[in-house]
Amino acid sequence: MNLNACAAEDPLSPEDDLAEIELTDADILEAMREIPGYLDITTMDFRAVYHLAHRHALDRLFSGITAGRLMRREVRPLTPDIPLAEAIPSFVRQGLKSLPVVDGQRRPLGILTETDVLRGLGADTFLALMARVIADEKCIKSEQHHRPVGELMTAPVVSVPLNAGLRALLAAFASHPGRAMPVLAADGRLAGLLPRKVFLNACHPDRRP
Amino acid sequence: MRLKGYLSKMRGSVHGSPPRVSLPEVLWSWSGAFLGIAAVAWLNQRFFAGTDLTLAIGSLGASAVLVFGAVRSPLAQPRNLVGGHVLSALVGVTCWQWLGGEPWLAQSVAVATAIALMHLTRTLHPPGGATALIAVIGSDQVHAMGYLFVLLPATLGPLVLLAVALLFNNLPAARRYPEFWL
Repeated sequence: MNLNACAAEDPLSPEDDLAEIELTDADILEAMREIPGYLDITTMDFRAVYHLAHRHALDRLFSGITAGRLMRREVRPLTPDIPLAEAIPSFVRQGLKSLPVVDGQRRPLGILTETDVLRGLGADTFLALMARVIADEKCIKSEQHHRPVGELMTAPVVSVPLNAGLRALLAAFASHPGRAMPVLAADGRLAGLLPRKVFLNACHPDRRP
Repeated sequence: MRLKGYLSKMRGSVHGSPPRVSLPEVLWSWSGAFLGIAAVAWLNQRFFAGTDLTLAIGSLGASAVLVFGAVRSPLAQPRNLVGGHVLSALVGVTCWQWLGGEPWLAQSVAVATAIALMHLTRTLHPPGGATALIAVIGSDQVHAMGYLFVLLPATLGPLVLLAVALLFNNLPAARRYPEFWL
């Protein structure tokens, strides 16, 4: 399920304003006072032009940011029937903290996050688990190890298409707490995984792609 | 409710009016307009007094407001200043000649068409509307000029203003003219 297909097309989604300062009439009038000569423009017009120009500038600056360019392709997804005991080593091997869960056709069913795993083990955070391990080594009940991934995963999954740009990605990451975003090809199959860390690095002005 | 939204638009936005310009700016505007209109009026007096022709029309006063009072405005740029007057005069004279029997219609069609034409050609210049109206309301002298009205006051007049604006508006450090030519 793709909750964010509409985010890129909605021109007034609140995420657009993340980096934009709201200019008051007083700000604009003060600026106009600093420019000698009569400016034939109202504050309303100025704000409208500024708002749209800001969007265009962002689109230009971040035009290189698309889910398809940034994602990790080599990710090995889970399937819902894999038991937790097998899923956990897969996280470790791949160096990821969330993994998409897909069906036989590589269509995403959900995402298994570190938080999902910890909850399955009866702890809310890694430190909570640590605290219990320190207090009592046998706190991890072994019957949990056989629970299938499908029972624990977060579903429906928030995902983005290959061509999702800055705006769509911001909206997608804002709308769910996971650390990685499954990226889907046009046919709905998993194409890769975009870690939030990679996305944030790409957004850094000095490290733009 | 639709009506409520419609009426609330009439309230305007709160702090819309641009701030008052500085006193030196007022003096620059005054001096520019003085020189611009002086040039037009002097040329008119010197060469056209006693003839059937005129160089001075009221709408040039309106152009002076823009060219010397709102120098940066897109409406005040050469393309608009000259283009707006010329096209509007053409429309005005044509309306007078075709619809002159029905003055109210000739006047309204002239101004409305002038605006539409200026929009389409990106030459919007508010005084153009006045030029179109003058061509219809006229004086007998204006009517007698026919399409010469387009050439004489409506082309030459704005060109004189343009020349003065180029020479004058680039003198003050804080002014430059034009922002664009075409």
